[in-house]
Amino acid sequence: MSTYRKYYRPFIGPFDPCSPIQWKSYETPPQLYLGFQPYNLPQNSPKEALRTGTLWPALFAPYPDPYKVSTSEEGEEQN
Amino acid sequence: MTEKQPSKQNETTQAYYTLLEQIQALDFVLVELTLYLGTHPEDSQAIQQFNTTSLQSNQLKQQYQQLYGPLYQFGASPSGTPWNWKDAPWPWQV
Repeated sequence: MSTYRKYYRPFIGPFDPCSPIQWKSYETPPQLYLGFQPYNLPQNSPKEALRTGTLWPALFAPYPDPYKVSTSEEGEEQN
Repeated sequence: MTEKQPSKQNETTQAYYTLLEQIQALDFVLVELTLYLGTHPEDSQAIQQFNTTSLQSNQLKQQYQQLYGPLYQFGASPSGTPWNWKDAPWPWQV
């Protein structure tokens, strides 16, 4: 239900000396949509929690490197 | 871990790292639970999990410290004789 990376087109001024940035993006991890964390969410094992960085898989977000996925060409969400 | 080391040393370093990883995993769970319990103080199940995990973590640390020396300072860890606090490997060398 939650998409991770969202994109928007920043304003490009007519007198901007530098080449304009066409797309900007930001991460939307699950906790933004969660509000107050419910009780007894399913948990990872300790080792899995250490690897994924969260005790609850519901809160996991991969945080991919946006620059590996070039934002210049395509604009739609990239997981 | 260069290959030249005799295999016995590989077993001990292997055991060293698995034990250290278990301690690290349990401590991470404790950090997560501490943050969770900050906003969910009445969640008795989480509190019970917190207490059992901290017990396990302390047992593992005791086991580690008997084998490999102190983890913490200022009295939080027993010291060997002679004073082995300064012995290698330091955390960043592990």
